[in-house]
Amino acid sequence: MSNPVLEREFIGILRTRRAFAMQVGAAMTFAILILLRWPSDGQVDLSGIQAQQMFQLFGYGLTAVIVLFVPAFPATTLVRERRQGTLALLLNSPLEPYRIYWGKLAGVLGFVSLPVLMSLPAAMACYAMGGLSLQHDLLALYSVMAIACLQYAALGLWVGSLARTADSSLRITYGLVFFMTIVVLGPYQFFQGKPWEWLVTASLWLRSVSPLPALMEIFGHRDAGSGGLMSPTGNLMRYAITAGIITAGFALHTLLRLTPKIFDRARSPGVITEDRSKAQQWFRRFVFLVDPQRRSGLIGPWTNPVMVKEFRSRRFGRSSWMLRLIALCAVTSLGLTYTSTAGTMDWGVETIGGMMVVLQVTLIILLIPGLAAGLISSERETGSWTLLQMTPLSTSQILRGKLLSVTWTVSLILLATLPGYLVMVAIEPALTRQIYYVLACLLLMAVFAVVFSAAVGSFFRQAAPATVTAYASLVALCGGTMLVWLGRDSTFDHSTVESLLAFNPMAAALAIMEVPGFARYQLFPQAWWFISAAIAVSLVTLASQTWRLSRPR
Amino acid sequence: MGPADPVVVIEGLTKRYGEFTALDDLSISLNRGQILGFIGPNGAGKTTTIKILVGQLRPTSGTARIAGADCVRDAAKIKWLVGYMPDTFGGYENMRVREYLDFFGAAYKIARPQRQSRIDEVMEIAGATYMRDRYLESLSHGMKQRVAIARTLLHDPEVLILDEPANGLDPQARIEMRAILLRLAEAGKTLIVTSHILPELSRICDTVAIMSHGRLRAFGTLKEIMQTVSQQRSIEVQLVSANRIAAAAELIQQQLSAHEEVTRSPAEATIRFRTAQSEEQLAQILALLIAAGIPVVQFRELQSDLEDTFLSITREPDEPPLADEEESRTAGPRSDAPVGNAAEVG
Ligand SMILES: Nc1ncnc2c1ncn2[C@@H]1O[C@H](COP(=O)(O)OP(=O)(O)OP(=O)(O)O)[C@@H](O)[C@H]1O
Ligand SMILES: [Mg+2]
Repeated sequence: MSNPVLEREFIGILRTRRAFAMQVGAAMTFAILILLRWPSDGQVDLSGIQAQQMFQLFGYGLTAVIVLFVPAFPATTLVRERRQGTLALLLNSPLEPYRIYWGKLAGVLGFVSLPVLMSLPAAMACYAMGGLSLQHDLLALYSVMAIACLQYAALGLWVGSLARTADSSLRITYGLVFFMTIVVLGPYQFFQGKPWEWLVTASLWLRSVSPLPALMEIFGHRDAGSGGLMSPTGNLMRYAITAGIITAGFALHTLLRLTPKIFDRARSPGVITEDRSKAQQWFRRFVFLVDPQRRSGLIGPWTNPVMVKEFRSRRFGRSSWMLRLIALCAVTSLGLTYTSTAGTMDWGVETIGGMMVVLQVTLIILLIPGLAAGLISSERETGSWTLLQMTPLSTSQILRGKLLSVTWTVSLILLATLPGYLVMVAIEPALTRQIYYVLACLLLMAVFAVVFSAAVGSFFRQAAPATVTAYASLVALCGGTMLVWLGRDSTFDHSTVESLLAFNPMAAALAIMEVPGFARYQLFPQAWWFISAAIAVSLVTLASQTWRLSRPR
Repeated sequence: MGPADPVVVIEGLTKRYGEFTALDDLSISLNRGQILGFIGPNGAGKTTTIKILVGQLRPTSGTARIAGADCVRDAAKIKWLVGYMPDTFGGYENMRVREYLDFFGAAYKIARPQRQSRIDEVMEIAGATYMRDRYLESLSHGMKQRVAIARTLLHDPEVLILDEPANGLDPQARIEMRAILLRLAEAGKTLIVTSHILPELSRICDTVAIMSHGRLRAFGTLKEIMQTVSQQRSIEVQLVSANRIAAAAELIQQQLSAHEEVTRSPAEATIRFRTAQSEEQLAQILALLIAAGIPVVQFRELQSDLEDTFLSITREPDEPPLADEEESRTAGPRSDAPVGNAAEVG
């Protein structure tokens, strides 16, 4: 039976230029990965070690592609349909909700199966080198990939059915993907080998929400990070079960939401605190330090109006939300540092420092593209760009206000993570210099993320594709180069890894922190040159593109 | 420039997109305090003209000046002179009406002490005062239009250019919108207002420009336009029954010139036709009908209304006329205007 939703989704996605670029990109990546390691003398060692190494690299590459790209499409499709009003038409048509859902899901899966298919020739090349088992290696890898695709597609659709805007949907989806892939591994690291049996079991199952343990088992990396303890087998099975349950849960809840009720969302009438009773006013003053419903003051004479507008029109830009976010960051950073000093773990300051760097970079990547990529594209989407152009504000004022609004937000949040570093300096004064360097690195990274996302966004007419592109590029930069790091020593030699890592500010920060595995790379000062050059190029692109957009056509 | 000089002067304005001409050699001028109704069907070139006027589009050739400022070269001056309301609202999320107006007030560099009173003032004019604390996304379409008007007025511009301000408004809101526009014109503003529908604006406009397919079809006061179009009159002949309707239509057709079309509606037992013939000739037709023994109940001229005028002006000469399914044509390759209730299709 044909499904019109599926047909439109699949064919529709396939037709976009973005999709074509992705296909080509995926195929090229795999080809390059394999070519890099193809034995130059046409001989293969019989032990199969080489094939194993290549297979690992290939497997992690494939995982990265799936984790980074799969969630973007399902996360935006429902939100966009709802905002364009086409979802209302679909729900009013005689199509049953489950067929709409299936159409969407299958459309996304069909689409993401293409890059996976692109990887098949490369997988076959690995296999041809010998030493790999079709069933235990290749089949297992592709099963995990298939489950992961399903899991992330269902997750994206679920978030998309709840979110209000495409970019908040993307932000939440990628946040959850990060949580479901990396963060869930944490508790088990902590509890393993401890005597509390049920906690260990629970954390073991929690861990299997992520595809990584299963992958490590396939690649024979099972014991990495287990601190010398044997980690249990059966990860693949456990992952299949947990992912299956989670996917079903997401699918069910999304299906339940696919009724016309999805539109029945009360829009806040905007009762203002000043109009409430005196008692309520006092109560609110007490509960909210900064009451979001208070009537806001007029824009002051020395502030850039565009900046104030950006803050106000952002849901999390209001001071009440900013305060919460900043508090959360401060607590997390202090908590991490405290953990290291309290000695509950033998992790050492470097590892804690490394974790903080990774967390901060994650924060940067999660926050900034959503904020910066829509700066210009969302104005073009709603038509308010024309209105801005009609005001006497100059292009540079507009641009400055927009960039400032993002920079302030990000700096405040990053500042909130500083106390953790301060504690670290207090414990190990010798680290002071290193920490300065790390902070400089993170600052440059943040500036780059802002300018780059804004520049990418200025080429789009709509906020959603702009945000996806900015996300994907940043994630590819920070996550993609890490793939090469994973293949250090075995697949890639020291100098290759070093020169590639220099493009990645996160790796640079980790190297300064002397985090295990990064300490031996000399990434300075090249890393700073690269990132400064990238910032300059992005800035010029952004400025010229904005200038172009503000000319009459 | 003196007060009697035209405020808006457009000369030979042309805009081409590749081969396609969206606007073809438009010339009009407009005096202070006047309301210009800019009317035409979809794709006529109204928005294109307006965008050139406010400096959003560059004309292929021709010039446009507002209060002496050239729309291409003096873009900065134009921003102060013109209040522009595009056909999209252009709202921001999570913003209250007052904050929205505050932003644009600040963008127009209205000093903070004056801004609050200015915002109150424009909300009062646009009838939007009661919405000031509401979030933009919770407003209905009509409410948004009012906020948009308020925003357009913030910097007290001399010329207001409104792209379909009444679009999507209910009849009551349309009346209120017209009242707002009239008040603005009385306050000395010059207004350019677009619409698809002529009657919509006919009551308030001093001047009407009717466009279609990028060309100006008629320009002047409403009265002048009606006169040039109304040389043709529509006649309706009502018979007692439809029995001899074919014979009657045949007879009438013989008296008209070949391109004047006769339509008959058997269900109503009426025949309608449009003609430029004189009163005497019409009397002749009636005499012939009666002589042929056809029982005529009524033979009367139909008042040609605004809709008819509009449609007859904007239709391209080679377009087929609109016709009711009910009505079957007797003769004539085409007519110059649709007749009777077919005109309501517009
Ligand atoms: N960027 C563009 N490229 C090519 N053609 C365009 C472009 N913008 C407008 N047109 C064409 O120019 C013509 C006039 O468009 P315009 O928007 O001025 O019409 P309009 O009178 O405002 O119509 P409506 O009442 O539907 O708003 C249309 O045929 C349209 O297709
Ligand atoms: Mg238009």
